[in-house]
Amino acid sequence: MPERPGDDRMKRIYIQEEYCIGCRLCEIYCQVKYSKSKKIIKAYKEEMVDILPRVLVEEIGYNSFAIQCRHCADAPCVSACISGAMQKNKNTGVVTCDEDKCVGCWSCIMVCPYGVIRRDLAGRKIVSKCDLCVDEDIPVCVKNCPNEALKFIEKDENEKNMVKSRNGKKK
Amino acid sequence: MERKNKTKKSSELIDYIIIGNSAAGLAAAEGIRELDKAGKITVFTEEGHLNYSKPMITYFLAGIVNLDRVSFKDKKFYSVNNIDIRLNTRIKSVDTAGMSLMAEDGSRYRFKKLLIASGGKPVIPKIKAAGTDGERNRHFNSIDAMNYKKIGGIFTLTTLEDAVRVKDYIEKHGVKRISILGGGLIGLKAAEAFLEMGIDINIIELENRVLSATFDRRASEIIEKKIKNKGSNIYKNNTIKEIYITDGRISGYRLKDSRKMECSLLVIAIGVVPDTGFIDSGKLRINRGIVVDDHMRTSVKNIYAAGDVVECLDILLGENKNIAIWPLAVMQGAAAGINMAGGNKKYSGGFFMNSVEILKVPSISMGMASAEGGKEENIEVLKDFNQEKNIYKKIVIRNNKIIGVILVGNIERAGIYAGLIRNEIDISSVRENISKEDFGIIHLPADYKKHLVVGEGTEV
Repeated sequence: MPERPGDDRMKRIYIQEEYCIGCRLCEIYCQVKYSKSKKIIKAYKEEMVDILPRVLVEEIGYNSFAIQCRHCADAPCVSACISGAMQKNKNTGVVTCDEDKCVGCWSCIMVCPYGVIRRDLAGRKIVSKCDLCVDEDIPVCVKNCPNEALKFIEKDENEKNMVKSRNGKKK
Repeated sequence: MERKNKTKKSSELIDYIIIGNSAAGLAAAEGIRELDKAGKITVFTEEGHLNYSKPMITYFLAGIVNLDRVSFKDKKFYSVNNIDIRLNTRIKSVDTAGMSLMAEDGSRYRFKKLLIASGGKPVIPKIKAAGTDGERNRHFNSIDAMNYKKIGGIFTLTTLEDAVRVKDYIEKHGVKRISILGGGLIGLKAAEAFLEMGIDINIIELENRVLSATFDRRASEIIEKKIKNKGSNIYKNNTIKEIYITDGRISGYRLKDSRKMECSLLVIAIGVVPDTGFIDSGKLRINRGIVVDDHMRTSVKNIYAAGDVVECLDILLGENKNIAIWPLAVMQGAAAGINMAGGNKKYSGGFFMNSVEILKVPSISMGMASAEGGKEENIEVLKDFNQEKNIYKKIVIRNNKIIGVILVGNIERAGIYAGLIRNEIDISSVRENISKEDFGIIHLPADYKKHLVVGEGTEV
């Protein structure tokens, strides 16, 4: 198989479930980023009803985590997209939806096993999903997580961390 | 321009020939290019448009996108991938033993590897007709696949050309009401577009409800009510027995129940079958569709097939089936292309799924969604209907695994169910949560939840 630098070396958001306290700041900062004003108070007061967060906090009791698009290597949403709007960038590995092309057929929602693609509430019939904040150094949900429950790192680094935490538990 | 040779001896030998310029065919071309940058790829299509998405034609019809935006590949796709695209070229015959094919103009092409991704073609039933052709005063006794295009106002709706012709006809003749023969997937997709355009419809359905193959009674009812409330009609347990033609155009029809209806535009949408008629099959196995294995290989060496023309593994039935849907066509095409170029990519099978939105009510159905349990062993059905919000959710479970889902009104997070079906997850430990309205990953069985949350973002 050919090398896919975009997938092997790209940074992804990894979920550290045990550190999530369910504060939902990730959702709020995501909404602010996609608001018109970009200002938290103004956005919160006037725009929130129209903006979907592209990260989703799931919570039952003390158990919670935040999840957003995983930017899959073999992304089912890209295969399912009938308009060519959903594309995986071959260089960066990032999966984005071209909102000008999307016709709102909801095929991506039908196939995403993570359930992280949503219908946009703002009236236009298009989908809304995480674009990994390609215009920022670090995605805003990661940057504003007070407890480092989201990490923006490469695959290798994540695997190292997972081994460490497994070993830690054994002790 | 390519030379056109008529004799077999001098015909050119092409590394990869692909019949079909849609989802499967182009996914295959990309798959080939992942491994083979240089081999010659020639794509044949009988259609005249460079590239368009078939499921988008109803969005074009409804005016949501214009002709410039019906393509699903970039304009540069063919040049970037170095693909020789032959438009308006219907393949007349495929010689599976001689590894060559002939176009309708008599040109012959030899291939090293062939992909048949010719898709489906609409079924036109033979219907009795009465009336005359305006110009030549020719009398029609019946309409069928051969002559229906000669009668104004009778259309199928599976190609972009169909959609353009329907749109023109509506505008030219000021059509206010459209009849759709068939209340299945294509019929309802057409209905979605016409209702969006503000045109009333009559749906004529042989069964006792619309979407009978993919919905259950309740889901059909919700959609039917929505359609009827808008001034449209659904004639169930019915069909067209006779078509009336006036001056070369459809003017009405008679239903099975003897009612006579006026009609200026009829869309025939009773189904689609794999387009295999042009293949001299020889040793190539064709049932309903072309039979392929888990690498998209047909029974003839170096000939592959993918998309709506094939039948391959349905993971819920455990046997081959023709499932003509876009997402599977792309996955099959991609696998076929990689394998044609010498790679090794398995197609792991699929199951039926469909999304349709009628008058702002979105719906998704997947798998064996119409099953009702009861007499069927090991089948259990969970239902949740909120009449006030018109939201319906149904989950079909077999041996503790989900095999079918219907979502009407609220389709949020539908794909989580698709993942549970595809990965055959035992849901017995979380059964009480599975049909909840706010159902999410947090409700899933611990192992699978951990896989989704902690595992990296690869195919699950």
